[in-house]
Amino acid sequence: MKKYAYYLGCTIPFRESNYDLSTRKVMDNLDVELVDLEGAGCCGLYYEQINELTHLAMSARVISMAESLGLDLMVLCNGCNGSLVKARNKLVENSELRDKVNEILADIDREFRGTSEIKHVIRILYEDIGIDEIKKTVKNPLNVKVAAHYGCHLLKPSEQIKFDDPREPKSLDELIEVTGAKSVDYFDKNLCCGGFVLGADKDIAYNMTGQKLQNVKDVGADLMITACPFCHVMYDANQRAIENELQKKFGIPVLHYPQLLGLAMGFNARDLALEQNRVRVNPGIFDS
Amino acid sequence: MNLKEKILADPEGKSLVNCFSCGMCTGGCPVARISDYNPRRIIHKVMLNMEPEDIWLCANCYTCEERCPTKTNVADLINLIRRITIKKDGMPEFIKPLVENLKTTGYTVQIGELENKRRERMNLPAVETTDEIKKIIQKTTLK
Repeated sequence: MKKYAYYLGCTIPFRESNYDLSTRKVMDNLDVELVDLEGAGCCGLYYEQINELTHLAMSARVISMAESLGLDLMVLCNGCNGSLVKARNKLVENSELRDKVNEILADIDREFRGTSEIKHVIRILYEDIGIDEIKKTVKNPLNVKVAAHYGCHLLKPSEQIKFDDPREPKSLDELIEVTGAKSVDYFDKNLCCGGFVLGADKDIAYNMTGQKLQNVKDVGADLMITACPFCHVMYDANQRAIENELQKKFGIPVLHYPQLLGLAMGFNARDLALEQNRVRVNPGIFDS
Repeated sequence: MNLKEKILADPEGKSLVNCFSCGMCTGGCPVARISDYNPRRIIHKVMLNMEPEDIWLCANCYTCEERCPTKTNVADLINLIRRITIKKDGMPEFIKPLVENLKTTGYTVQIGELENKRRERMNLPAVETTDEIKKIIQKTTLK
């Protein structure tokens, strides 16, 4: 049985618990055990722009929690993925920096050793579990047209993350197609959601999100699939506000990938907390 | 030291010298196509010892670094410019609440009773706050 330390970050418990719930459901169905990290806190992403040592110590702290369990770390958020992988690489490569960080962690009785890997849930599904194993759990093939949104820090910077191909990624598309759904191409598929500039300039962020929603609508996709809770906030929770701002109508339901997989496994909409998605999802569209 | 010297003195800033201002970063930048934001100009101005503008508009998507033919770490350089700028001028207003939340809860948001009640209804474990992040921030920002 596969087993991972399970890390939620900030956005998921605050406003995207349906991502958490659906991930637990599908992982249980795939015989994967998840070990919760108590008081796990933030990965330190924002401190990349404020203070490097704080960022490294915050990331190292989260990684050390998985290390003390002797497990690799499953992350659900692209932001956490980028922040933790970059910090881990730096600390593994640079012993001087590692000693400095461990001196800080000693105060809270923790130590970074570099023994656990950081893996995004999409990577775990694609590489550790694999399409063939997932296929065996699909009981209710879905008949929908889906637009995949990979987001940024699942793939980039590729020199650090080393997963899939950032220019022509296929992992999420294949994971979508194993559910029976059709993953459609659309213009600017690899573009960023704009979430990271939301604080600095809401207009720019909303325009970036709105542009992609329009591209998804233009190819007639039934729904959009995300792999990151913050991308999901932008496309789903903020979709109504963006429609108002841009004077456009999108009406695109946006699901977390494990919600789509869960439906294909035979879980019902309530099991996956689909009612918490802001843009209404009509479960009838999944019937074949 | 001026900005350029500070960047070159930082291990994270070494790739600044690779840039020959071709503009591939800006050609692929999703923010540049809908605004006046221009990462090529940011790097170019730093090299000319001028003050770069719009440093907070980078979406951190790393498309620039993927495209760069000279392996200039454009997005990482912009993060470094942000860190140097904060050290000099302090934090921009929109970051302050995130840092406050980190100190009080250990998360960038105020996770509390409301969220945990919802999680309880969903049979999900409660999310516990932590003071370890506050300790890390205090210890690392004193230096």
